[in-house]
Amino acid sequence: MILSKKILFLFAAQLVALATFNIRAANVGHEVAYMQTDRTTYIAGESIYYKLYVLDSETKKCSDISKVGYVLLQGAGSGSTLKVRVRIESGMASGSILLPDTLASGAYQLVAFTSAMRNSGDRNFFYQDIVIANRYDKELKFKIVNSIAPDSNFMKTRSIESAIKTDKKVYGLREKVVVNLENMASQANVAVSVYEVPPLSPSVKTIVETMNALSVTPENTQKLIYHSPENKAKLLNGRVLDVVTNKVVSDAVVLLSCNDTVPNLQYAATNSNGKFQLLLNDYYEGKELFLTIRDVPVGQQWKIETEDEFAQNQAWNPILITSSGDFKDYIVKSQNVVYINKSYQLNNDPADKPKLILNPICPLFYHNTGTTILPSDFVSLDDFPEIVVEILPQVVISREKGKPRIKVYNTLTKIFNKNSPAIFLDGVFVDDIDKILGLGSEQIEKIEVFEVERAFGDLAFSGVLSIVTKSNEILNTKPALQSLRLKNDRVNTGGRLVTVSPDQIQNKDLPIFKQLLYWNPSLELKGKDSTNVEFYTSDNAANYMIKIEGISVDGSPISSSTGIQVINQPNVTAK
Amino acid sequence: MRHYIIFFSFLLMCISMHAQTNVGSVVPPIDSTFTAKLTGEFFYESKQYIGVQNFNENWAQSDILLSTGEMIYNVSLKYNGLFDEVIWMNTSNFGKFKLDKSFIKEFWLKYEPSFPNHFKRINVSEPDKSHQPDIFVEVCTEGKISLYIQRRIRVSGTETIYRNDAYRNFESLESSPVYYIKLPSNQYLKLNRIRRRTFLKLFPDKKKAITKIMNANNLDVKVEGDFVKLIELMGKELF
Repeated sequence: MILSKKILFLFAAQLVALATFNIRAANVGHEVAYMQTDRTTYIAGESIYYKLYVLDSETKKCSDISKVGYVLLQGAGSGSTLKVRVRIESGMASGSILLPDTLASGAYQLVAFTSAMRNSGDRNFFYQDIVIANRYDKELKFKIVNSIAPDSNFMKTRSIESAIKTDKKVYGLREKVVVNLENMASQANVAVSVYEVPPLSPSVKTIVETMNALSVTPENTQKLIYHSPENKAKLLNGRVLDVVTNKVVSDAVVLLSCNDTVPNLQYAATNSNGKFQLLLNDYYEGKELFLTIRDVPVGQQWKIETEDEFAQNQAWNPILITSSGDFKDYIVKSQNVVYINKSYQLNNDPADKPKLILNPICPLFYHNTGTTILPSDFVSLDDFPEIVVEILPQVVISREKGKPRIKVYNTLTKIFNKNSPAIFLDGVFVDDIDKILGLGSEQIEKIEVFEVERAFGDLAFSGVLSIVTKSNEILNTKPALQSLRLKNDRVNTGGRLVTVSPDQIQNKDLPIFKQLLYWNPSLELKGKDSTNVEFYTSDNAANYMIKIEGISVDGSPISSSTGIQVINQPNVTAK
Repeated sequence: MRHYIIFFSFLLMCISMHAQTNVGSVVPPIDSTFTAKLTGEFFYESKQYIGVQNFNENWAQSDILLSTGEMIYNVSLKYNGLFDEVIWMNTSNFGKFKLDKSFIKEFWLKYEPSFPNHFKRINVSEPDKSHQPDIFVEVCTEGKISLYIQRRIRVSGTETIYRNDAYRNFESLESSPVYYIKLPSNQYLKLNRIRRRTFLKLFPDKKKAITKIMNANNLDVKVEGDFVKLIELMGKELF
């Protein structure tokens, strides 16, 4: 009896412990996205400047888990329109998304998230409604999401954790504005935006509101598939399926390589759910990825399917309303501003050069040199079988069951290797040897052969045959059934500092009409020392909002805003 | 009171258990998939020798620092002193592979885990002379002056042995280490044997000071351990 009481007591204690710590554990390491955009209303052809914060829901500090973020722009009911991948450094990322001229006018939504956030459903994703108008849309009959008019007292300063002061409240055209930011918290990183206040604007949550809303959001009870955090680089997730039965295939080896002058390879085996993951480091930036399955059994047809990292659970179908006359006037003005800026080539976007990555780690298939043959050293030969016969004595092409097969003579065992070697064409693992048979001396620049069996990690290959062509012939080939070819877009960058330069201000012949006066995605606030921000007004007389959002190193969200007025006078101070 | 103790100890146990299951069950071991892959060619041992050709006769759990800066942990390695190659036992297919030399920067044979034998790939070519291939050397001491030992094994002769019903010739092997002293000028001094006189000839201007160190610390240059100690002290006191 005493023993059973003890057991009951221990059981109860375990239940209490599990219940308590299960709740805590569920929240540990959850990431939350917050994104600040320069504005909420755009004209197609302009850029959206953004700053993305990935925060830890527990500590409220910048998360150091995810290194990859995703931003997508989706139209109402039309699915995603633009997709960009961002590189997160210390929980922050910034960039600019150029809106194509062809975008239709209407309501759009920006969504920002990381792969790890999918483990909490989509509750920690960031959503922001915006309005985009086509530059050539003269009718402007499009509808917008439920929007709010700006506060009549928009000039009032609203500050949380940071004081924001301007040297004046009313400025003339082309006049210098000095904004003083005083941080109340510890060191912080903020984004600053100064934009013309539209008559209507979709509601925008501040970072403070977003972080406060976290604690009251109920826990998602939905059963979710685990998503690995991308804490090193982007993960390419996919699965292998049997084409006939549509069942997943486990233990299949998926090979990944890229077009290069050197053979390169990465591989992953599928798990019991047929899934595989490949790490796409900087080497794969902007490259075309060639995926294939190694050794598909004879008579079977397998295929690779990759996951869409931007996929959303639901289409965005908001309730839309007709916009007011004021708003349409604002859009017409914005269209004209864009027209002037395009005509005078006064775009805000600084040259968005891709960041140069020095010496990215290439997964080379071998690091020694084999036997190298340059076909140009010999008489011209029409095709690869002829090259093999004439200048590659260590290689033979035979036919087995009507299919060509390549074998390499092993100089150590003094016999031809039983299995085919690993064949690479322009750095890519070849899924079908037919792709090289037609190549002659005119196309081939270099052939490299390794006669001995080679290891690449856990995979063993009966020699290597690498062919480098003069004009990247691999790009003209079609992938076999078990293969897949896809583009790995570069990470989104750009939009560092956008402002009107003093030189432009001095040039009186230049019409400078700006609705975005200043955008700085990364301004460091040093403790309690104040920081000054300086920019110029343009020829566009309007009401402007100065908005700063950010996060301090100790996890305090910062959100401040104030308004200024630009009136149609050359310089208010001078007057 | 006893109930409270049991309750809290159980509570602590549950926390630790839960902490482990949370990580273990949720985060798959993705790192093993994403680590760099060793590359090399199959190692054929077609020839038999008398004596050992490897620095470590048994497979040693080892760590490798690759030329890309990536680390690979706990792989089975042998350092072959006869061919100056690193042999890897791939435990997934039990194949022995000679690793691509240029891919390996350093490796640690953890034969005795607390005292791993640290090797690195160096090039001892002299600027004005013909280029020598890279070699693997054991790192004995590194500082202002460093001492590296190439654990070379060489063929010392041929022996005729009655084996498998016949007399056969076998090459016999012997250990023949080569000592490389790296000076602050990055120049390498080579010693095939460690002898007091030969060693002192390498440093004519420091002969007296070196002798003083040797006498003060009772060091015998011929003993490898003492030689390493001497280089260490020279680095501290003379350079």
